[in-house]
Amino acid sequence: MGQIEWAMWANEQALASGLILITGGIVATAGQFTQWYFGAYSIVAGVFVCLLEYPRGKRRKGSTMERCGQKYMTKVVKLFGPLSRNYYVRAFLHLGLSVPAGFLLATILGTACLAIASGIYLLVSGVCGQPADAMTPQSLQPPAG
Amino acid sequence: MANCLLNHWLSVLVLVMWLGLNVFLFVNAFLSYEKGDKYYYTREILGSALAWARASARCLNFNSMLILFPMCRNLLSFLRGTCSFCRRTLRKQLDHNLTFHKLVAYMICLHTAIHIVAHLFNFERYDRSRQSTDGSLASVLSSLSHQEKEGDSWLNPMQTTNMTVIYMTLTSIPGFTGVIITIVLVLMVTSSMEFIRRSYFEVFWYTHHIFIIYFIGLGIHGIGGIVRGQTEESIKENHPYRCAEFFEKWDDHDFHCKSPQFEGNSAESWKWILAPGVLYFFERILRLYRSQQQVMITKVVMHPSKVLELQMIKRGFSMEVGQYIFVNCPSISYLEWHPFTLTSAPEEDFFSIHVRAAGDWTENLIKAFEQQNSPIPKIEVDGPFGTASEDVFQYEVAMLIGAGIGVTPFASILKSIWYKFQHADHNLKTQTIYFYWICRETGAFAWFNDLLASLEQEMEESGKVGFLNFRLFLTGWDNNIAGHAALNFDKATDILTGLKHKTFFGRPMWDKEFSTIATIHPKSVVGVFLCGPQALEKCLRKCCHQYSSLDPRKTQFYFNKENF
Repeated sequence: MGQIEWAMWANEQALASGLILITGGIVATAGQFTQWYFGAYSIVAGVFVCLLEYPRGKRRKGSTMERCGQKYMTKVVKLFGPLSRNYYVRAFLHLGLSVPAGFLLATILGTACLAIASGIYLLVSGVCGQPADAMTPQSLQPPAG
Repeated sequence: MANCLLNHWLSVLVLVMWLGLNVFLFVNAFLSYEKGDKYYYTREILGSALAWARASARCLNFNSMLILFPMCRNLLSFLRGTCSFCRRTLRKQLDHNLTFHKLVAYMICLHTAIHIVAHLFNFERYDRSRQSTDGSLASVLSSLSHQEKEGDSWLNPMQTTNMTVIYMTLTSIPGFTGVIITIVLVLMVTSSMEFIRRSYFEVFWYTHHIFIIYFIGLGIHGIGGIVRGQTEESIKENHPYRCAEFFEKWDDHDFHCKSPQFEGNSAESWKWILAPGVLYFFERILRLYRSQQQVMITKVVMHPSKVLELQMIKRGFSMEVGQYIFVNCPSISYLEWHPFTLTSAPEEDFFSIHVRAAGDWTENLIKAFEQQNSPIPKIEVDGPFGTASEDVFQYEVAMLIGAGIGVTPFASILKSIWYKFQHADHNLKTQTIYFYWICRETGAFAWFNDLLASLEQEMEESGKVGFLNFRLFLTGWDNNIAGHAALNFDKATDILTGLKHKTFFGRPMWDKEFSTIATIHPKSVVGVFLCGPQALEKCLRKCCHQYSSLDPRKTQFYFNKENF
């Protein structure tokens, strides 16, 4: 288990959660559901999470497959500084972002999925003993070649 | 295009049938809920969202039923064995089991999305019509409650005005199970992304087993009868076409229309998933049984570059070329099973695998066997499971292409071909073999190199030099190696591999290779077998289509790929 970089799965999970939040938010807003403003929040939060999680961090061992068009996003993400580098920060950020969406049925799935992603990030930094500062600025660079 | 269809007609047929059935089931369910009299009043409140939800539910049931079948390895092996009359095309179709599994999974995700969105609208509309006081038909229907003396007349599951949709969802069986199984589905999908699967197999393997929760949840999802339609008896007394507009008068005792009565639909998912569930359960039991049979390790060889060869025997084990087995080592991990291609030929009296260090489990396995003083760890084996390589003897001319680690199945094939050739086996239709080995450097495959060297020698001794033709391509060359090779150009044996066949540097030029082979064998059917990366697959498929002549009597290239 020691070699598994759980953060990679957390990244996929968070990206999926972002998309689910956006979808749920669009449904709630377009359908003008009761308390639809949570849906509007959810769209914004979903977009933010997707932007943050789209660049795949560099693996510690082995070559990393970049996602298509990752380099442009990486420049934006780096602007967020420690927010994007540290796993603890990411975990709590995702947890915080997911809470308001939990008040609306349309986005509650996004909340659950994002909370799970947050849990995996916490697992990475806390339980598995991988350094919390794992995502150094270099790691957000697309791998050379 | 014509060649593409010829090569894949069965896959296309299966795909078209599957899509067709999906469309049929969807439309059928949609129309039944959108037009049926039984749901007239339900539609009053919910609109079309009811039909969308039910139609996607039908497709979800159908696809959930299908998704387990491609994973019954033993059943597929059995089918593969019994269908010897339609070997080539049917067996190739069975190789695509993983592809089909993924397609069905994507369809499940699509329909889940439709189903959830539709139900979000449904719940919202139920909520609104419960809250509304405008005296419309929808609000009257919503006020029909559990307490009615004439039995089950309620339609709207939200019975009180202060019940929220979230509360309704999380406290009802369908709602709660729906949320759980959707979360499970999302987790399964994210952990099965190719990147995760290839790099951290254990994450994929363990997480994917939560499909059990998915199926159990799906089975109980329909309990609760929330989807309600009018009862037959009630339609006689209160037919929507006659009575709907007079809804204010339903409470009058003398009026010919009484209040409508509703009944919930019973759960139907279990009917779809019971059979495949049972079949898969037996598949797992069979795998467990097969794995419990004792495996005796007869020889352990440590090859250079940390490659472990294990030669084993097991009672009742019989294999064919290019098959693979799943291996478990309880002392490393009780639950993990990893696939390995068999590198021995069926003619040998043992079976073997070559294990390369490529992750946690393989490294631990190699370490366990390296220790001289401790006893040899126990190994459990399940399989063998078949792949396209079984067809290799059916082609007059075979092109075998192994890239990197993909060269492993060909160890088995080449050995077997050589045994068959020596014993003039009638089953062997192969006259010529072209073997392409592409790798960065031969380091980890020094064992394979030795195999090629011995085959080369035996061929020379038997005087059958044209039978096996090797082309080795080193893609990780540098100026030093190239310079060295240039200097030793005239030597009889290759300086790097020691083989008579010279090593080429860089990637093969496939156009040239294919056209040369087409010229040398103008009337043959050529089987192309690849075990390697996808980029190479695309290139080879293209060449197969390009160089296969439209005239079936001339050269035809058939493409086959290994996959795990």
